[in-house]
Amino acid sequence: MSTEDLLVIENLNKSYSTGFGGRNKTQILHDVSLSVGRGQTLGLVGESGSGKSTTASCVMGLTAVDSGSIRFDGREITGLSKSERRALRSSMQMVFQDPNGSLDPRFTVRELVEEPLIIHGHKDRSERALKVAKTLDLVGLTEKQAERYPHAFSGGQRQRIAIARALVLNPQLVVLDEPVSALDVSIQAQVLNLLAQLQDELSLTYLFIVHDLAVAKLMSHQIAVMHRGKVVEYGTSQEVFEQTSHPYTKALLDAVPGTKQGVGHA
Amino acid sequence: MLSTILRRVGISLATIFGASVFAFILLRVVPGDPARAIAGDMATEDAVAALRADMGLDQNLFVQYWRYMRAVFTGDLGFSYSTGGTVNSLLGDRLPATIELGVLAVIFAIGTAVLFASLAVYSNSRWADRLLRTASSLAMGSPPFWIALLALMVFAVQFGVFPGPEGRLSPGLVPPADITGLYSVDALLAGNIPLMFNALWHLVLPAAIISIGPFAFLSRLYRSQLRSTRRETFVMVARSHGLTKFPVFNRHIAPHGLLSILPAGSLLFADLLTGSLLVEKVFGWPGIGSMTADAIIQKDFAVVQAVLLLAAVLYVVVSLLADVILTTVDPRTRVGAR
Amino acid sequence: MPVNTEVQRAGQEQSTATPVLEINNLCTNFELPGSTVQAVRDVSFTLCPGQRLAVVGESGSGKSAMAMSLVGLIPPPGKVASGSVKLRGKELVGLGDKEISAIRGKDIGLVFQDPMAGLDPLKTIGSQFVETIRVHQNLSVRQAKELACELLAEVGVNDPRRRIEDYPHQYSGGMRQRVLIAMAIANDPAVVIADEPTTALDVTTQAQVLELLERICDERGNALMMITHNLGIVRQLCDSVNVMYAGRVVEQTSVNALFNEPTHPYTKALLDCMIDPYTTVRGQLPAIPGSPPDLAAAQPGCAFAERCPLGSAEKICHEQRPEAVVLASGAVSRCHFAHELEGAQS
Repeated sequence: MSTEDLLVIENLNKSYSTGFGGRNKTQILHDVSLSVGRGQTLGLVGESGSGKSTTASCVMGLTAVDSGSIRFDGREITGLSKSERRALRSSMQMVFQDPNGSLDPRFTVRELVEEPLIIHGHKDRSERALKVAKTLDLVGLTEKQAERYPHAFSGGQRQRIAIARALVLNPQLVVLDEPVSALDVSIQAQVLNLLAQLQDELSLTYLFIVHDLAVAKLMSHQIAVMHRGKVVEYGTSQEVFEQTSHPYTKALLDAVPGTKQGVGHA
Repeated sequence: MLSTILRRVGISLATIFGASVFAFILLRVVPGDPARAIAGDMATEDAVAALRADMGLDQNLFVQYWRYMRAVFTGDLGFSYSTGGTVNSLLGDRLPATIELGVLAVIFAIGTAVLFASLAVYSNSRWADRLLRTASSLAMGSPPFWIALLALMVFAVQFGVFPGPEGRLSPGLVPPADITGLYSVDALLAGNIPLMFNALWHLVLPAAIISIGPFAFLSRLYRSQLRSTRRETFVMVARSHGLTKFPVFNRHIAPHGLLSILPAGSLLFADLLTGSLLVEKVFGWPGIGSMTADAIIQKDFAVVQAVLLLAAVLYVVVSLLADVILTTVDPRTRVGAR
Repeated sequence: MPVNTEVQRAGQEQSTATPVLEINNLCTNFELPGSTVQAVRDVSFTLCPGQRLAVVGESGSGKSAMAMSLVGLIPPPGKVASGSVKLRGKELVGLGDKEISAIRGKDIGLVFQDPMAGLDPLKTIGSQFVETIRVHQNLSVRQAKELACELLAEVGVNDPRRRIEDYPHQYSGGMRQRVLIAMAIANDPAVVIADEPTTALDVTTQAQVLELLERICDERGNALMMITHNLGIVRQLCDSVNVMYAGRVVEQTSVNALFNEPTHPYTKALLDCMIDPYTTVRGQLPAIPGSPPDLAAAQPGCAFAERCPLGSAEKICHEQRPEAVVLASGAVSRCHFAHELEGAQS
């Protein structure tokens, strides 16, 4: 593992107790080891229940780990206290599949984007305004749109607002949890292009959770395929696609509809 | 599952304990001296002190509480000074009257709530829906004792279709042999049909008035549950299979609504079993409610305490029971489901 | 509106067969306070026995509203405003609840998107299945259960005799969709409408369910109307396609022609948006700018004009609604420049 890795996950384990008196343990994560280089994207691919979202949630400190280590920027971040976690929040942000959950309909877009700054103690009002304006510009929202309320926007535009909220704090790492799977194809393309452009401009590091292999291939430098809590395939996106080793990855590739008759089209 | 049950039982016991402590302390910090009240204004200071010692009121609160709870666990709820009998026998006299009234009120409340909410939702008419919501708002907002007085004036005094505030039976009638304590049931068991109708005739008006508040609450709950279930995908699927509107409502929408009013309905039931203070008072109904009202005025500790304890136990038992029924009826939570 | 049956049928391969379903000038509106959303606008097409028609479009394109309108299941305040839907010549628009219910599930079976919510959680699979069968078939409960077990076995439920007593929560999402498919075909409908049946499922489960649908259509010979936004599914499962945009069918064509020579700019843009894992370059994914139009507003011209690489500069696109154009290939396109598009590709 190179020193240039921003995020290093080693032997992560997580289980939940179920059944009578919590006697049965369900292993959600099984010795998960991954790393993401600075300015790169790691695509985390898998189906529901594969553990990809739990992994992200452990990274964000939303789920406590059983054992293993997560190092962010060289520093161990498992078992941090609440205040230490809070300080870390501004350098790690998350974007969810459904932006509506995080967009309070009573606030304008500008207020929504400013809110994280206020929460993280940015006191200078004019500095805040400057940052908000810059971020809105980055994600392609106009000054006029900034005064509107989120319900006036389409799904793709709302996802832009959610991205702006994440980026306004200048994070190093952005965890993207299925950011385009609720969007229509044409809108999905706009958001994916935006994410790629933002990564290049701001040298962001992405942990990109996605179930669609084609999107993962397009967006990621490296891909990890997860299945039942284990990483079953891990490599550069080229390798994962062209030298598929694990039968599950092959099954995933074969299962994409319309690929059986060949991929090329007009 | 086991831990869930244990936790539930623990919470239940804590609730009952809390209620008993609350009742005990509350009644002892309010002004007024029960010993003086019993002995009367003419009694000497010494006589009152002796009575106070006899009643244990000179001990500290902790000892008093301990004595009380010990007695409760042996089944002795104490002595009612205002009536001169044991609380046990008093409750034995009064409880059936309240149960009879409460059961009928709950039947009224659930029956009308289910009927009218179903009609409003099924008919899909904006007009019917608005009518239901207005009715339930009015019902929620009007004080029951006021409606009780009004109803008596209209139905008993003006039109004479229902009896006045004369209790459970018309004056001069002899209650049926005591089997369940519920006059209407006992009269039926004794084969005395006219007496049964007389008992029911006396029940209808107070039961209807008591059911107004619960009706308002339950009809809103049932209506909103029906409306949200109607939007479920499985309802659309059932329609797509060719089921007409009524069978879909009957078999797929209504059961979900009923499931949702079960817990609320049973808590209302527990509530009604401790009687409605003012409505019972207005109708001269010899139940727990009017008894409690009298006991509060008389500062009859033992009775008020017993009623509060009864209320707590009823709440806990009924809600536990409702949970058990709910988990049994709903296949998703049924024990043993895979 | 001129009714031109020749135009309607031209885009389809089985134009010689008698259509089982014939849709003419169908319009569906949602009456909201203060505005009317025209969700389905003047849609006409036919469906023939054995045909597998894909209805493709993005959310809000009216594809689901159109499908629900066919069987009178459009939820209020939605309403079929005009047009006709004929099942073997019998008009369905305007039928009473009883009459249309006799057709739903019997002649037209439906499969919906969300299998997790598609079954009543309080009733066993068996009781729901028996109910579905007995609505249309005069069978005893025992016979209906027997038939249900056979159908469950057919869709791949193991040990149906035991599993039929289970409740929906004891089934996985993929299994529930199998059950719902079995229920939809229980009364041997001539038409199966599947509305995004695999969108809520994982990729591997999706593949299995698609295979099942394909097998069932092969074996039973029913017509399939597949509503989807996924062009991969179209390619795998269907033979003809209706592309919908802003409530209208903008292109009717065969699946082969769709991928090789799209004759509407929207279709072309949609195809370009598809990610090809081997050739698409990161950050340069072709996107359609803007977003779909407001369906409550009147559109004098082509609804796609604002976002169209061809039409945004053309006056005619903004002012005049494009009529259906039948092309040499048999495809039908509602674009002023359909002929030019066709010419450019060959």
